[in-house]
Amino acid sequence: MSRLDAKKPSLCKSEPLTSERVRTTLSVLKRIVTSCYGPSGRLKQLHNGSGGYVCTTSQSSALLSHLSVTHPILKILTASVQNHVSSFSDCGLFTAILCCNLIENVQRLGLTPTSVIRLNTHLLSLCISYLKSETCGCRIPVDFSSTQILLCLVRSILTSKPACTLTRAETEHISALILRAFLLTIPENAEGHIILGKCLIVPLKGQRVIDSTVLPGILIEMSDVQLMRLLPIKKSAALKVALFCTTLSGDISDTGEGTVVLSYGVSLENAVLDQLLNLGRQLVSDHVDLVLCQKVIHPSLKQFLNMHRVIAIDRIGVTLMEPLTKMTGTQPIGSLGSISPNSYGSVKDVCTAKFGSKHFVHLIPNEATICSLLLCNRNDAAWDELKLTCQAALHVLQLTLKEPWALLGGGCTETHLAAYIRHKTHNNPESILKDDECTQTELQLIAEAFCSALESVVGSLEHDGGEILTDMKYGHLWSVQADSPCLVNWPDLLSQCGCGLYNSREELSWSFLRSTHHPFVPQTCLSHEAVGSVSNLTLDCLTAKLSGLQVAVETANLILDLSYVIEDTN
Amino acid sequence: MLSSMAAAGSVTAALQVTEVLEAIVSCCVGPEGRQVLCTKPTGEVLLSRNGGRLLEALHLEHPIARMIVDCVSSHLKKTGDGAKTFIIYLCHLLRGLHSITEKEKDSLMCENIQTYGRHWKNCCQWKFISQALLTFQTQVLDGIMDQYLSRHFLSIFSSAKEKTLCRSSLELLLEAYFCGRVGRNNHKFISQLMCDYFFKCTTCKSGTDVFELVDDCFVELNVGVTGLPVSDSRIIAGLVLQKDFSRYCPADGDIRMVIVTETIQPLFSASGSEFILNSEAQFQTSQFWIMEKTKAIMKHLCSQNVTLLLSSVRQPDLVIYYAGVNGISVVECLSSEEISLIQRIIGLSPFVPLHALSQCEISNTALVKFCKPLILRSRRYVHLGLISTCTFIPHCIVLCGPVQGLIKQHEDALHGAFKMLRQLFKDLDLNYVTQANDQSDTASLFICKNSGESYKVPDARNGSIQKPYPDTVIENKDELEKTQTYLKAYSNLAISDVELETYIPYSIPKLTPADTFQTDETLRCLSLEKNRLIGDYEALLKSSSTAYSTRGNNRIEICYENLQVTNITGKGGLLPVSFKLQNMGTSQSYLSSSVPAGCVLPVGGNFEILLHYYLLNYAKKCHQSEETVVSIIANALLGIPKVLYKSKTGKDSFPHMYIRAVHALQTNEPIVSSQAGLESVTGKCQLLTSVLQCLTKILTIDLVITVKRHPQKVHSQDSEDEL
Repeated sequence: MSRLDAKKPSLCKSEPLTSERVRTTLSVLKRIVTSCYGPSGRLKQLHNGSGGYVCTTSQSSALLSHLSVTHPILKILTASVQNHVSSFSDCGLFTAILCCNLIENVQRLGLTPTSVIRLNTHLLSLCISYLKSETCGCRIPVDFSSTQILLCLVRSILTSKPACTLTRAETEHISALILRAFLLTIPENAEGHIILGKCLIVPLKGQRVIDSTVLPGILIEMSDVQLMRLLPIKKSAALKVALFCTTLSGDISDTGEGTVVLSYGVSLENAVLDQLLNLGRQLVSDHVDLVLCQKVIHPSLKQFLNMHRVIAIDRIGVTLMEPLTKMTGTQPIGSLGSISPNSYGSVKDVCTAKFGSKHFVHLIPNEATICSLLLCNRNDAAWDELKLTCQAALHVLQLTLKEPWALLGGGCTETHLAAYIRHKTHNNPESILKDDECTQTELQLIAEAFCSALESVVGSLEHDGGEILTDMKYGHLWSVQADSPCLVNWPDLLSQCGCGLYNSREELSWSFLRSTHHPFVPQTCLSHEAVGSVSNLTLDCLTAKLSGLQVAVETANLILDLSYVIEDTN
Repeated sequence: MLSSMAAAGSVTAALQVTEVLEAIVSCCVGPEGRQVLCTKPTGEVLLSRNGGRLLEALHLEHPIARMIVDCVSSHLKKTGDGAKTFIIYLCHLLRGLHSITEKEKDSLMCENIQTYGRHWKNCCQWKFISQALLTFQTQVLDGIMDQYLSRHFLSIFSSAKEKTLCRSSLELLLEAYFCGRVGRNNHKFISQLMCDYFFKCTTCKSGTDVFELVDDCFVELNVGVTGLPVSDSRIIAGLVLQKDFSRYCPADGDIRMVIVTETIQPLFSASGSEFILNSEAQFQTSQFWIMEKTKAIMKHLCSQNVTLLLSSVRQPDLVIYYAGVNGISVVECLSSEEISLIQRIIGLSPFVPLHALSQCEISNTALVKFCKPLILRSRRYVHLGLISTCTFIPHCIVLCGPVQGLIKQHEDALHGAFKMLRQLFKDLDLNYVTQANDQSDTASLFICKNSGESYKVPDARNGSIQKPYPDTVIENKDELEKTQTYLKAYSNLAISDVELETYIPYSIPKLTPADTFQTDETLRCLSLEKNRLIGDYEALLKSSSTAYSTRGNNRIEICYENLQVTNITGKGGLLPVSFKLQNMGTSQSYLSSSVPAGCVLPVGGNFEILLHYYLLNYAKKCHQSEETVVSIIANALLGIPKVLYKSKTGKDSFPHMYIRAVHALQTNEPIVSSQAGLESVTGKCQLLTSVLQCLTKILTIDLVITVKRHPQKVHSQDSEDEL
């Protein structure tokens, strides 16, 4: 048919949230994300019906990027979660579940969007200011002089991703590696403005997780044939490096816009090769030991360089260029002649290494913030998941460096926060309502919807039919296994709260999370002794959680505010 | 046959279309408005409360609807505001006209006229009404604005002479503006952001050129960052280019930059020329020459302390390498808009590499305060501290939001706000015709006598229908709907009259022509009988309340300085209104005046109620059939405040508010507005004009013919185009 078809009119639907279809799709999405949440979350296998790649995951980033949603409202929801994850790497599922819960709970109330949005915003700012305040009872300072809390943070991230299929020992090993890799990227003598280095993750699939390791410097993969040709260099001093970003293959570079006419017998290839060999001579006379090229090096030049005991490595690729520039301190060379001497860099040493079936050239830096994390896992799917997890953990450590606080994990922050909000709105509603047109009843309703949305997020940590309780002193979360007898003493059944900070030896009273109970003041101001004495805490990244909370409420507000959906059907 | 392909372009059809549009649009109006989600065919999701965008997204098929959308978008191009109000107002106007048709249709029902005949007759009638509308819009509307409404205008400027703005009044204006454009939990934040931006970008000397610059280049002046909460949006000093450095060399102290629009490396062969290579050595020499030349140019730049190179094209590896060697940072592939923005800010012309070496000093360099990479959510940008040579101080807005659709909405809203300010800072010319005020009545009477037709009978009858209407509006203290029912009651009365007098239906369509011709005829008649009239007219002019003295064809200019004293937020501001009176003929005076820059009114339908009130007053003085048109326009104006007050109850509800306002006007007291916030008068005036023009257009169409072309034919034409 012709390309000049008239545009089809769009579909326009009013009050989209009231439609049955939207509700079902929202609840389907909610079921998908809630079932993934937490250390005992269920895995999802995503695959294309016509074969190909299969992804097994329980992470929001992998899940949502593979999921194709069609309804515009879901698109808004998933897009905002994905955007959050790509900037904070953590708390994606939390954001998605909270957002779904909020929409569902508020919908049930049937209040006007104006007051809902206004009150939600108030409650959000109440949460944010509490989590940022000194008196916050679910926040602990991160001490960078010891590894304990940092390890807890990394471990919590690893254990919350069951699709990595790590055993306890493996988890410990990988946590330690991630932390080491992170510490290697911090410059040693940084003053004022710190620029972090980079950790490159090198895949090594099919190996045992325990074989994973961290090395300073850069690993360049090579076939063993190539590796054989590399001559061992024995040199005490640092090696001089030249890094080319232009091609050294002898292609005739850009000849301009006009036509070039060649006389008979003139070979431009020879002319360019001559140029390349001249370049080689210059490199040799400049005592360069290592020539790296982003693109291809002409075999003749390579041979020439090898003859003069210069190692030449080509096809490095654009991704390694930046770390290489940083590590060696070179100026990437874009010229085939007259190289300025200050554009050379140096490395401490070059050696070959074999990990599994792969051969690498290992460039060891003098002092640099680039390191390589050789990551092993049994199969492709688990490796992909582990790689994403490691990246997330490294990112979370960076965020923590900026804002050295961590939140108590395992659902304790959420229950504590819900208890705090309940108490605040119950005892001091005037301070929240201040100059608004909303009534106290509206506030109570919305606050209840908000708190129960928070609580159902942690409710979805439990997938095996167990019960979730909260204590009336700290407002922490406690979970009971499914088949435990009913009429026993609670302290016998409960050993530890969700984050591991408190144990049941203390005189506490519990109640079911979903049951109604009187608002109480959760104990604020965490004592340092309490934190110091516990070695194995579950922790969350503060920055990521704060943003997740904000994004969830903002997105829910946005969706609740929709009055029409106009769908372009072209 | 024709009927199968053609549909009558009637008011009814147009009303049906606009009512649908109104339903969609009215849910986004005002502070209580909600969001609409639009999807694009690409799968992109957009949140919007922008009327223009919504209408566009609907891809309407109906021809009348398409025409309306075209009218709206051409209005938006001019003012960037008012699409939703446009639709609501148009809908109410059509409703008003429709109710007349209904009334007259009833009267026609009893006649045995063929349907087609009736249709054509209706069309003629609509054409005359549309002419009446046009006359009203071009000759009367501006006059009412100027003579009555202007006394209510406030000025946004704290000092009218220098057009300076104080923060509090700008805040009021912007808050009201963003109320209708962004989500309700963000409008305060966004208006604060805009306010900050405004005061950071302008100096006391800046004028409208800043708005022009920001309006033209707004896309380049903001950066969207997804994945962060809206509250992380901020303003940063300097310019952010949405590119990364190709080569970054940290530099301290003086940073000089140059702009290039071509590759610095000389080309091997120029376009259109032939380069004959005779030997390999020749090739190598020319390569060497190119290399040396590039090296020399970069060295030269370095020697002139240039440390930053902005390029609109991609530079070869060689150039970037030598830039790095010489410590020059490079940013490539800048768009032409970015280059032109930089040039506008610092007034720098591009540097021509080939001429560079012949000059010992490069003249076109500029000093930059700083130049560094900026990382926003793991994406790198170039952050430039330009030193402005114009009145605009470069600042960028970083807009954050959870999704791209929301950021886009905020960007649109901010852009629209600058468009609005740009309009607000301009005077709006008002041109109108005055028939020396109250003399119009006598003049028309005179015409009636002269033409000697029997129009008087239907006129009088019509008057009996219409006259009670404005009275009821003012007297009825409850709801406007009720007045409408009253109107219907009256029209029923009229029908009985019609039934009695059988000859009248034929004259009804002629009723309007009489009005529209009237002015023309007045002119003609008056010029014919000039000698006799002049005496009368001078007498009339002398007695007129505004007391303009006119004599023959003399040009008289009267300037009223400081006609009004207005007060905004405690600070006194003088609002000059200048009148230019030009007497063209004996009967009509063409006046031109202006709404001065910075005129505002409180939000919440104030403008509409004021204009409604004065139009009704004016209508009373009008010739009866003109009165119909004017009162339809006046009543349609109330549509907007009705929507705005829809959710309010009790004392704040629309009828209460309306009664209070009218009472205040009658007793000459100031109107108390329940909402803080101001809106631009200029925008409203332009909107009204645009709507009336659109309505005129709709009314002049009598038939919509669908042309069905064969797809094959389209296809063949298409392929020809390709050839």
